[in-house]
Amino acid sequence: MSVSSAPVIDIRNLTKSFGKVRALDGLDLSVRPGEVHGFLGPNGAGKSTTIRILLGLIRAGGGHVELFGADPWRRAATLHGRLAYVAGDVALWPGLTGGQCIDVLGATHGAVNQARRRALIERFDLDPTKRIRDYSKGNRQKVALVAALAAEADLLVLDEPTSGLDPLMEQAFQRCVRERRDDGATVLLSSHLLDEVEALADRVSIVRHGRTVTTGSLAELRRHTRTSVHAVTVAAPDGLAGAEGVADWASTSRDGQVDVRFTVDAEHLDAVVGRLHAARIHTLTVTPPSLDALFLRNYADPVDAREPGETPAGATR
Amino acid sequence: MSARNPRRPGLATMVGIVWRTRRRGILVWVIALAASMIGTAASIAGLYDTPAKIHGYAEAVTAGSALAAINGHVEGIDSLGGVIQDEFGFLASFLLPLLGIALVAGSTRREEETGRLETVLAGRIARHQPVLAALAVATAAILATSVLFAAGLALAGVPVAAAILYSAALGALAFAFAGVAALLAQLVLHGRGVYAGSLIVLAVAYALRGVGDTTAAGWLTWLSPLGWVEKAAPFADRRWWVLLLPVGTGLVAGGAALWRSARRDLGSALLRGGLGPGHATRLRRQPIGFAAWIHAPATLGWLAGGVLLTGMMGALARQLLGALAGNPGLAAAMGMSGARPLHGFVAGTQLYLAVIGTGYLIQAIGTLRAEEAGGRLETRLAGTLSRIRWLAAHAVVVAAGLAVIVVGSSLVLASTTAWSVGDTDEFGAIVRSGLAYLPAELVLGGVALALFGLWPRGVGLGWAAYAVATFIAFLGPGLKLAQWVLDLAPTTHVGNPPLGTAEPGGLAVLSLVAVALLLLGFVAFRRRDVPRT
Repeated sequence: MSVSSAPVIDIRNLTKSFGKVRALDGLDLSVRPGEVHGFLGPNGAGKSTTIRILLGLIRAGGGHVELFGADPWRRAATLHGRLAYVAGDVALWPGLTGGQCIDVLGATHGAVNQARRRALIERFDLDPTKRIRDYSKGNRQKVALVAALAAEADLLVLDEPTSGLDPLMEQAFQRCVRERRDDGATVLLSSHLLDEVEALADRVSIVRHGRTVTTGSLAELRRHTRTSVHAVTVAAPDGLAGAEGVADWASTSRDGQVDVRFTVDAEHLDAVVGRLHAARIHTLTVTPPSLDALFLRNYADPVDAREPGETPAGATR
Repeated sequence: MSARNPRRPGLATMVGIVWRTRRRGILVWVIALAASMIGTAASIAGLYDTPAKIHGYAEAVTAGSALAAINGHVEGIDSLGGVIQDEFGFLASFLLPLLGIALVAGSTRREEETGRLETVLAGRIARHQPVLAALAVATAAILATSVLFAAGLALAGVPVAAAILYSAALGALAFAFAGVAALLAQLVLHGRGVYAGSLIVLAVAYALRGVGDTTAAGWLTWLSPLGWVEKAAPFADRRWWVLLLPVGTGLVAGGAALWRSARRDLGSALLRGGLGPGHATRLRRQPIGFAAWIHAPATLGWLAGGVLLTGMMGALARQLLGALAGNPGLAAAMGMSGARPLHGFVAGTQLYLAVIGTGYLIQAIGTLRAEEAGGRLETRLAGTLSRIRWLAAHAVVVAAGLAVIVVGSSLVLASTTAWSVGDTDEFGAIVRSGLAYLPAELVLGGVALALFGLWPRGVGLGWAAYAVATFIAFLGPGLKLAQWVLDLAPTTHVGNPPLGTAEPGGLAVLSLVAVALLLLGFVAFRRRDVPRT
């Protein structure tokens, strides 16, 4: 495992056009060794196009792309020895069994950990003797995931990996990714599912219309958002409604108890909870700012005039 | 037909869907087939423009049974229409059944296999209606082809009643196979299986007709859909009632397909694979082994075709040579004149084999495009396998497959010929003549590979080039096409061995062209985006 802090993925000002459609329009992405990096954006934002350029499958139109410090277009096959990839739209050979597919995919990865392969098949509850054509979509997804997670890879590139998985399997997937991260692997997790990224990612980059809108650690991103508080107290909390940092105030009285809801920014949370405590707390729910809030904030902006007229959705297919 | 009223709104919608999604392919089929048949008829009418010439042709062709095995036994051959039926006999035996098979297979099991049918059936469409719509559209396309062909024949000077009956018989043949394909689509799991099963039925039909036409067991011809075209005797007795056989077969098979489709589960099949091994073998994990697995079904299929053809021809060699010995006119008509009639016979067979080998190459390269379009190439290239190694592995496997098909079939031809004529003197010459066609086959394979590198969406054009080259190779000399047209077909430059001498110059040029196209394909593929739409 690399101990240097040079980024595993270093993309700056990346562009790519398909005919007249501008799929990528100056995208930046930097993934550090050992982190799980969430790559967030709505459908057609350019996530899959970025990943294909990163894998050397398509050629960058302009800008700078480095994977493990090298050019992925020129050194594709060599670099791929250090990564494992799960495509967003998993396409496998219908005539092969699941186990055969895992081995065929595994053979193109650097090395396969056979013990982990066995354990993963068990954890994902997969029957490796069934043909791909007889699998459901979710089971096909599991085949690709087992192949990627069993590989001894320094980098996992996962493009919307849990589409088609049920919640139980999603849990299993998250545990597996954390284990790989704890082993020292780096993970690029592309998704439009906020809770998935929230559960796994150390840092996130949010892209829209082929451009990076924001990037940073979850803590950094959260610093600018507000925590929601819902409390039921015996007495009315004193002077809370007008306190510094409090907003969205709503209060009702019921059965001799007071029900309050409000939001508060991160630095004033401590003072607010103190006042609630003084009013004798009956129940208290504090919800940290979710990625949803971040996401909505970044996507609620009106589309600015420089945006390409066509959404690049069709171009990533 | 099911007991339900077929005129429910769902059927019209379904017919619209089939037509909307398949119209381009249908139009290409109808126009290409009608144009080639009409063109052939017109050229033959131009060549055989006097009763004397027609009589000479008839004398020549009816002299031996070998030609009847290939082209069929034509009643009333001593007429313009008879000559057309005879000349067209071999190609029509395959093209018209294929028309029916392709039209139905593409809009039934393939749609089901890809999951598109599920979406359609979630709408106001009954389970049997997609099959009914596929058959309806196929029938309309077949009718259009028949009407065009009948008009072309009439214009070429064939009596109208005979022209209509012959076209109707060919159309009914296509319809029978459309019904068979519809039924198979209910029984097997994949579109590929529908093709394979239908082609097996076709091969059996061809063999039955061939044996029936050349041996004492003439009744066998009556068992073959291909035989029914002959027995309708459009240019002799005009037995219209014989059309009931193919039409009835199509209706019964199509009706059974409708019955099955209304009752079975979506996505189910009678014949399907079971569980398999939980691990891939060491061989299949290698690029070469994996490519071999991908191309194995096509290789075996085309090999079976080549072995069937050469085995049948070789077994008939003695009869054919006997006929040639007593009839120089026949030898001339078959392009088999020369000091050694056996050489002429082998040269003719090798040309058929070259068409089989080339077809295999085009299909194999189409498979590479299918891997890309299906998203599997992307998965494949996301590992340590480089593009060049991936393509090279496939190229090596496909080239080896071609060698197996050509050498294997040539060995069968050499052995069966030796057995039939009773000596092995020509064994080496027969096998060598098969090898001489390899560069010509690789040129068309190179065209397909170059397309795959440069313009992957156009890989299908490889089939168009193949169709043109095949048409020129088979019918060009007989139709006395201009030399520059003949030169367009790679096989023209081989030198027609062993009748002629294989031309080292021509073979060298063909090899160079093939290598250049191959390199072009590799270089272009290395530089382009994957997947490219």
